[in-house]
This record gives sequence, C-alpha cells and structure tokens, in this order.
Amino acid sequence: MAMIELKNLWKEYGNDVVLERLNAKVEAREFVTVVGASGCGKTTFLKLMLGIEDPTRGELLLDGEPIPGEPDETRGIVFQRYSVMPHLDAVGNVMLAGELEASRWLGRVFGNRRRKLRDDAIAMLEEVGLGHALDKYPHELSGGMQQRLAIAQALIKRPRILLLDEPFGALDPGIRKDMHELVLRLWKEQNLTVFMITHDIEEGFFLGTRLWVLDKDRLDPQAPQAYGARITFDLPVGREDQKTYESISSRLDTTARAIG
Amino acid sequence: MKKFINRHPNQYGRWVLGILPFVLLLILYVAASNARLAENPNDPLLPSLMQMGDAIQRMAFEPSKRTGEYLMLQDTLASLQRIGIGVGVSALIGLIFGIANGAIPYIRATLSPLIVGVSLVPPMAILPILFIIFGLEELAKVMLIIVGITPFLIRDLQQRTLEIPEEQIIKMQTLGANTWQIVTRLALPQIMPRLLATTRLALGTAWIFLIAAEAIAATEGLGYRIFLVRRYLSMDVILPYVMWITLLALMIDFLLARISRWRYPWFHASS
Amino acid sequence: MLLKKRTLIPLLLAGAMLPGTALAKDEFSVCWSIYVGWMPWDYGDAEGIVDKWADKYDIEIDVVQINNYIESINQYTSGRFDGCTMTNMDALTIPASGGVDSTALIVGDFSNGNDGVVMKDEDELAEIEGNRVNLVELSVSHYLLARGLETVGLTERDITVVNTSDSDLVSAFASSDVDTVVTWNPLLSSVLEQPNANLVFDSSQIPGEIIDLMVVNTETLEQNPKFGKALTGAWYEIMATMNGSDDPAKEARAHMGDAAGTDREGYESQLANTRMFYEASEAVEFTRSDKLLDTMQRVAEFSFKHGLLGEGAPRPDVIGIETPAGTYGNEQNVNLRFTSEFMQQAADGEL
Repeated sequence: MAMIELKNLWKEYGNDVVLERLNAKVEAREFVTVVGASGCGKTTFLKLMLGIEDPTRGELLLDGEPIPGEPDETRGIVFQRYSVMPHLDAVGNVMLAGELEASRWLGRVFGNRRRKLRDDAIAMLEEVGLGHALDKYPHELSGGMQQRLAIAQALIKRPRILLLDEPFGALDPGIRKDMHELVLRLWKEQNLTVFMITHDIEEGFFLGTRLWVLDKDRLDPQAPQAYGARITFDLPVGREDQKTYESISSRLDTTARAIG
Repeated sequence: MKKFINRHPNQYGRWVLGILPFVLLLILYVAASNARLAENPNDPLLPSLMQMGDAIQRMAFEPSKRTGEYLMLQDTLASLQRIGIGVGVSALIGLIFGIANGAIPYIRATLSPLIVGVSLVPPMAILPILFIIFGLEELAKVMLIIVGITPFLIRDLQQRTLEIPEEQIIKMQTLGANTWQIVTRLALPQIMPRLLATTRLALGTAWIFLIAAEAIAATEGLGYRIFLVRRYLSMDVILPYVMWITLLALMIDFLLARISRWRYPWFHASS
Repeated sequence: MLLKKRTLIPLLLAGAMLPGTALAKDEFSVCWSIYVGWMPWDYGDAEGIVDKWADKYDIEIDVVQINNYIESINQYTSGRFDGCTMTNMDALTIPASGGVDSTALIVGDFSNGNDGVVMKDEDELAEIEGNRVNLVELSVSHYLLARGLETVGLTERDITVVNTSDSDLVSAFASSDVDTVVTWNPLLSSVLEQPNANLVFDSSQIPGEIIDLMVVNTETLEQNPKFGKALTGAWYEIMATMNGSDDPAKEARAHMGDAAGTDREGYESQLANTRMFYEASEAVEFTRSDKLLDTMQRVAEFSFKHGLLGEGAPRPDVIGIETPAGTYGNEQNVNLRFTSEFMQQAADGEL
C-alpha cells in the first residue's frame, strides 16, 4: 500500500478553486518536490498535508487512513522563516521535542534524562554542522545556520514524513548548494519521505526523486480562480533533462503572468 | 553644505541640546518666581529654589514635629508599596488572561468582548461602586490601579500572543506538544519580555491612578501629601514631590528595561 | 533702566504667571463657589444687581463661578481675582499666610448646623474614640471635629484622620470601611439620608465660629473704595430681595436652589442651618463683637497646630488678625482684616 494517497482531491475557498482532481500515490522514502507558480496552490497543498486545512472533496490518505486533521509528530516541518524558537538556544531548540515527550505537564526534564537529551541534541547538531554553535540563540545565527537548526529540530523527532516549505528560498546560492547536500544526505540516512515545496523549478528538478508540477491546465484569463491547479507533470527526476525542464519552466511562466 | 535633515549633532552636541530646554525652563521659572516674590515675599505659587530646598530638607531629612516620622520616606514607601502590588497583580492577571485569550480561540471568544468593554469604562466614573465593593482602605487603592490598567495589559498581551508566528505553533505541534505545552513552552516565554515592555507603558497610567486613589482617601502617600498641601498652595512642597515622582517613575522604567535586556537578550536582538 | 532691561524679557516670558498688580483701576473680578451662603452672588450676577451697583460707581465687576472651592481660593491668592468667597479659617490659612493681605469685606453668615459629624450606628460623639474619621483634612470640617472632640474630652490623637476628597465623601460613607465622616452641606444632608447615619455633633454647637465671607485684596480695596462700596451695596440689595415670604423672595431662592443643584425647598432647608445676616446692621454687630476676636484666636491656634500657618511659623500669633474689637497676634504683620466700615455704610443707607 502506498504511504500517501491523493484521491480526487479538491480544495476550494468559496467560488475560488485552488486545487482540483489531484490523484497520486507516494511510496515511503520518496523525495517529492512540488513546484508551481505563486498562487498555484503549493502552500494549500502543504496545509492539507499538515492537517491545518481539510479537503473540500476527495481524500488525502496516510497509510490508507485520512491524514490527521491537525499537525502532529508524524509530519515534521521546516518553514522558510520562523521555524525555530527565538527564545531557546540551539541545544534548547533541538532538545524541545524530547522534553515535550518526557514531561507532559512541565515540558521540562532534569537530571540524567536531561543529560541524555542534551547529548542526543548535540549529536544531531553536529550532524547538521552546528557543533560549534550549541549555545547560540537563533538571532546569533546566519540564515543558513538557522535552517540547519530547524532541520535538526524537526529530524530529532524522527518524523515519517518531512515537509519542507521553500526552506532555502531566502538563502544565498552558495549556501543553498550546501543545504541541498545536507538534505539529500539526511534523507538517505534517516529513511525519510520528503515533500519539498519550492518555487525554484531548477531546485525541484534536480534535488528529489520525483517532481510534481502544480499548474492550471485550464485557464480562463477573465476569471483565473474559476479553475484549480492540477498535477500537470509527475516525473521521475534526479538526472539531467534540460529539454523537459525548459518546457515546464516556460509553461509556468505563462500561468504566473495570467494569474498576475 | 549638507541639507539640514542630513546633519546630526555629535555626542557632545546631543547632550547640550538635550539639556538646553531644561535650563531654559529653569531660567524661566526662576525669573517668574523672582518677579512674584519681589512683590510678595510670602507668595506660595512659585517658591524660590531656596524655599523648595528648605521644604525638601523639612519633608525628607527631618522627622515631623507632630508624628516623628520622616514624611517623604513614609509617603514614598506607602506609594511604592501600593503601585508595586497594584502593577504586580495587574501584570500577573494580564499575563494569564492575555496568553489564554491570545492562544485559545474558545477563551478568546468568551472573554475578549467583555475585556474590550471593561477597558473602555473610565474607572474614576464608577468610584462609588468600587468603594462599596473594595472599601476605602489599602485594598481600594490597589484595586483602582488594577481596574485601571489590567484591561489594557490583557488586550495588549492578547494581541502580542496572536502575533506569535503561526509557523512556530505548527512546529510545536509537529514536535508533539499539547495545548498546555504550547502555552507554557512557546507562548509564555515569548510573552514575558513583551509583558515587561507593556508594563513599562502601563506604569504611567498606574501612577495617575495611584495619585487619584490617594487623593480620594488616604493618611499617607505621595499623592496624599500633594493633595493635602495643595489646599494651602504649598508649591514649595508640591514641586519637589512632583520631581521626586518623576524620578521614581524614571528609575522603575529604567530598571524594567535593564531586567528585560538582561533576561531576554534574544527579544531585543530580534525586534 | 539697566534693571528694567534685565528683567523685561523673563517678565514677558512669564506673563501669565505674574502677580496681578493692585493699582487704581476700574475693572474688577471676584470669584465664588457653590455653597449655601454664597449662592446670592450667582443671583446678583444673573439678575444684573452687581452690574447695577458697579455702574453706579462707574466701574465693572466680573463675577466668576469656580467649581472647586479650594481652586477658587488659590486663584485669588495667586492674584487672578480681586475678591473671593471663603470661610474665616481658609482666609487665614491660605491667602493671609500666603502673604496676601486680605480684608473680609462682607460677613455674610455663619454655619449653624451646616457642618456636622456623622457616625454610623453610634449616636454619641464620645464613641468616636479609636475610629478612622473621613473628612477633608485641614478644612473647616477638621476644625469642627477638633472642637467637637474637646467637648467630650478627646483629642486628635484618639482618632485617625483620613483625608477624603469632598466629591467622594458621600459615596465613601456607603462603604463598609467608613463609619465616621465630617462634612458640610449639601453633602451633610446626603450622608444623613443613608440608613444608620446619626448626626452626633454640628456647627450649631459652636455658633459663629465657621463664618462665610467675601474676602478682597486689602491693597486693591484701599486704592479703590468704590469696589468695596459696589460689592457691599449689591450684596445687601440681594439680601433684601431674597429674605421674606413674598413672591420675589421665593423666586430668588428658587433661582439659588436651582443653581446649587437642588430646588427651593432643598435650598431653604440648607438656609435653615445657616445664620444669614440679612440686615447689614446684624453683620456689623457680629463683626465688632469680642466673640469674633476670640474665634479667630482659636482658629489661629488650631491652624498653627496643624502647620497651616507655614511650617516655619514659630507661634500661632505670627500673622496679625485685625478686627474692630482689637488685633490678635503680630501687629507688624497684619494680613487678615475684618472691617465693618462698608457694611456700616450699607446699614446707614449711605451707599
């Protein structure tokens, strides 16, 4: 059975159709990158995956059951911004998941258990290359380091699914390259299933194992919200395929201009 | 020559410019005071600096002839205790209800309209009701401060709680947090420095309510003294008291600002 | 010239805060606040009686109502007004001790039950021992309380005085924290309307000690006797109008009651507790009596004990008080004067 299944999935807000007729199956350990023009429902799809929005029609299944209707520990998330807690230092941020699990009321642990959590957190921070910044607060870290911290914080919880919402959108190109390597390495090491939202088609095309293009295949220029986006391309990727890349790229540009 | 808007005074210049209005005010005061005193040496309205110095000496450094107490110390301690308890309790209530309202939609829907309504009631207009409920003694004075500033604190902290990024609330849930943990480990620590900032803003209002409460009925306190001697136009006592209140307020404000920077450096760096 | 140049600029800057200079002039202003004995000024102003008398002496008199009693005295003391209504005690402790030589031009009435001590549940003043007593500290209420305590062999040490704003006294009495208040009318009658309230002492037991005056600046009066004549003339015309049971008198009292926030009946009940001197001759007699001199000595001693003559005052008689019957205190420093001169002229029909 597929881990994630989209069955004729629709999402509408009143008369605005955002997503329509999404059908797909995703197996465990796939790395799906979702690209599309701005306003084409990428964020809505992510909200459905998180459970903070419900489908208006159709089903979104996790292991054959409707996906839980609120965020929980099955799905880790890294946002573009605000992913880490500004009031905790790096170790504190990574220890958070363990503390929340160990102490339902205080949300804090002490003594030996704390030492254990701390050791685990330090190991995770070293894994993402933040071994030198254990006591630093997020505001003392660069953008790339903050995203490394966010990834460490999410992964220490060992989620089955990792959702990445344009995680590298605000980073410099050089740093993005490093982050790509980090994500690919962790994906392989930790047997994750990854959904990554990005508006950078090139990133989507070359990072994951599978590329979804969310796009409106029917477009009414007078009423751009009348039809929703569909998965117009569902391709195995990960290898150089310049021609397909250019064709998708130009098509998305057209949609972006039409939505305006 | 640069445009005026692009020119900045140097550090020395800033000091001089900052002090200048105070010096001008002082000169103006002394001139007006001299003019009045030349006409009537007993004129109470604009006492000379000497007369104010005598009054400070008498109120602060000599025991009262009648009671043997140092009046200014006694007044200051009484007022500080009232404002301390009043603002402290208000801050605690503001913190609890501000976070609860901001974080939990069901509580917000229930309490928010009530708090908005209450915050628009001028407490001084319903004093007789407050007298009946809280009496006329210490409790009444503290309660006037609490009634006066708590609705503002709750509303502000509710707004600050609502401003916590949605991303972090989702992130907490993906890390396994329940509602209580989101409140205690996300909302509470993030609101604490904002509580200090809001309390600093509310302190000005708190002083107004304190002085008003002490004017209504009291046996000691800074506001009591001012309103008592105001009857006799003893500006030589009132003016130093006003300056002392200003100084106390400044010191409390400075102290809260320092505590905030010391305890919550991340807040000041990111905002 | 040099001096002038040096003081000119700050004088200009401080314009609003400068003292009013008491020179010969023909425009005057007096202020009054709402109280049973001073309502006639409102009537005289509204009916043009004050203007009529001012015209007669070819001057102008502006009559201004100030909502806060103490504020009105402070305004007078700082020189904004040439005259103001106040009690004998406040005349001594505010303008006179503030160095403003003041003259009680018109002695209008004395309180004869308008000020009182009210206790909850108890009906004996002696039971006051140990109580917290809410009153406007350092006011005539405080003086009344001190006089009352003397009659039962107590002193202020046996009670605790809680300074309470007059605007909140009535509602304060409803609070369970408060069981004794001292106040004046119309607050007094409002307090007495509440259940369990008992009047245990009032000013009719110390008749003639709480006196309501029209006080004017002595220097202004000396430079401008017309001002005194016009005010006094107007006052006794108002007195003649409002006294009696004919319709104009009733209308006058209805007007005053209305302006005081009550009605004719309410105002008349307050008048019942007030010994008005409708006839100038009565006021002259009262002013010339030895009793007034004794009263002022008592008031001066009370004021000194409470530091009201200035914290630096060495003795109660530091300020001289001149009355027709003699002078109390320092004759070199007379700052409060009672005169029967103008009232006598009114009595003799010479105005």
